[in-house]
Amino acid sequence: MNDNNDILKVAGLKKHYKDKAAVTGLSFAFSSGEFVGLLGPNGAGKTTTIKMLTGLIRPSSGTIHYYGSDFQQESQKTKALIGVVPQQNNLDRDLTAYENLYLHAILYGIPKAARNARIDELLDFSGLADYRNRQVKTFSGGTMRRLVILRALLHEPKILFLDEPTVGLDPQIRRVIWDFIVKINRMKNTTILLTTHYIEEAERLCKRVLIINDGAIIVDGDPEALKDGIGHFVLELHKDESIEEEFFDTRPDALAALEKSTYPCKVRGVTLEDVFLKLTGRRINV
Amino acid sequence: MFNGLYAVLYRELSIYRKRAVKQILSSSLSPLLFLIAFGWGFGSGVTVGGLPYISFLIPGLITMNSLNQSFAISAEINISRFYFHTFDEYLIAPVSHAGIVIGEAMFGVFRGLLATMIIFVYALIFHVTLSFNPLFPAAILLHTFSFSLLAVTTSMIVKDHSGQALVNNFVITPMIFLCGTFYPIDKLPYAFKLLVYVFPLTYSTKVIRAALTGGDVSIIYAGLMMFYCIIFFLTSLWALRSVEA
Repeated sequence: MNDNNDILKVAGLKKHYKDKAAVTGLSFAFSSGEFVGLLGPNGAGKTTTIKMLTGLIRPSSGTIHYYGSDFQQESQKTKALIGVVPQQNNLDRDLTAYENLYLHAILYGIPKAARNARIDELLDFSGLADYRNRQVKTFSGGTMRRLVILRALLHEPKILFLDEPTVGLDPQIRRVIWDFIVKINRMKNTTILLTTHYIEEAERLCKRVLIINDGAIIVDGDPEALKDGIGHFVLELHKDESIEEEFFDTRPDALAALEKSTYPCKVRGVTLEDVFLKLTGRRINV
Repeated sequence: MFNGLYAVLYRELSIYRKRAVKQILSSSLSPLLFLIAFGWGFGSGVTVGGLPYISFLIPGLITMNSLNQSFAISAEINISRFYFHTFDEYLIAPVSHAGIVIGEAMFGVFRGLLATMIIFVYALIFHVTLSFNPLFPAAILLHTFSFSLLAVTTSMIVKDHSGQALVNNFVITPMIFLCGTFYPIDKLPYAFKLLVYVFPLTYSTKVIRAALTGGDVSIIYAGLMMFYCIIFFLTSLWALRSVEA
């Protein structure tokens, strides 16, 4: 039986299309309030995973349970527990922010009397109150992104999925979005799963990362612990054809190796990218 | 089921409100051209089965224009599926597929009815006398609902916008020209007649024309309209489900 303390429990999840396997077998469980990152290169299966977890595509095999309820069997009941921020800002551009939110409120069965109060409360929470009655097509990318996140919160989901929440945004807007997501996790105690291929995003936000490669999870843990596992410092050797890394527990060890090297090189702290590199021999961002 | 249905209608009508003038204008033009070309240009003095040609033509234009407008929802569903991905909002929401399908189809009916009104206005302007059978409202509702469901079905099956264009060119346009909209189908060669009796528009045209020109509404043809409507409802549900494969 399923442990009802787990908000989400996934077992043996697979998805294959005619010619290729997109996800080759995922198993994990989240408890309430966790902030988890699904980190991996483009094409690793992150979006496919999110789509299966949110009901956009059916898994080829495996099970998904929310609070012990089977997602396939009881999809209408469980879908109400989920908030989704897809990769594209899928807002109706001809509608206003308010109309987009109102549509969502109807879809999730929020009682008519509560809709406007809920919408205004969230517009305040996210600092978008001034945009309430403007058409979405006039918004900047960052504002649209915040509105999509806000929309996903309208029905007070227990778990929020964010698929590449900051892709294509400039650095200072990215920070605004990060702060917003952290605020949601802390103030509303919403469990969060975000996918990303940005190392910094995973390291700064997530208390737990699942690193995914070729449709399978290759490691699952606290980002700091994962980094400690391979050593604290890296010596980067800039060879003619490629960059090679060597790992050291202490800075003096790394510096000593640097002294001996004949290539241009530098010493830096370990990142999750190095964890990925060590496990797969490839880089996340090529 | 009602959350999904109400949500779809809220969205479609909110958007439609902002585009109403443009859409009504564009759905007014082509029937007017048909009326001028066939009603005045070619059909004056011609009678079909005892009716002046223009009286024969008007019910045909009603089926044509309402079909075009009801079916046009497919292009918009395509845009929301493939370009803006707004359709995904329905798919991840805790609503039933039947609600989504019926909501979209009701919007198609709404557009089809507006297109019908336009032709009635033209009938007044062109001084065409129509008789009115109480079965007409039921027939036009069934007709527009049926083709809206066909629109939902095709918009779920096609993989992109050009697939939708293919359906328009190979299914909708031939139906409009072959199914008795502009002329009685018994003038067609035998092979075409067989083909025409497969197309659902044939039955819509027969029933709607009979209801507006004082003819007898055939129970069999009305039954066949109902039959196609049920088929298209089932294919819509099946096609929507296949989107999540």
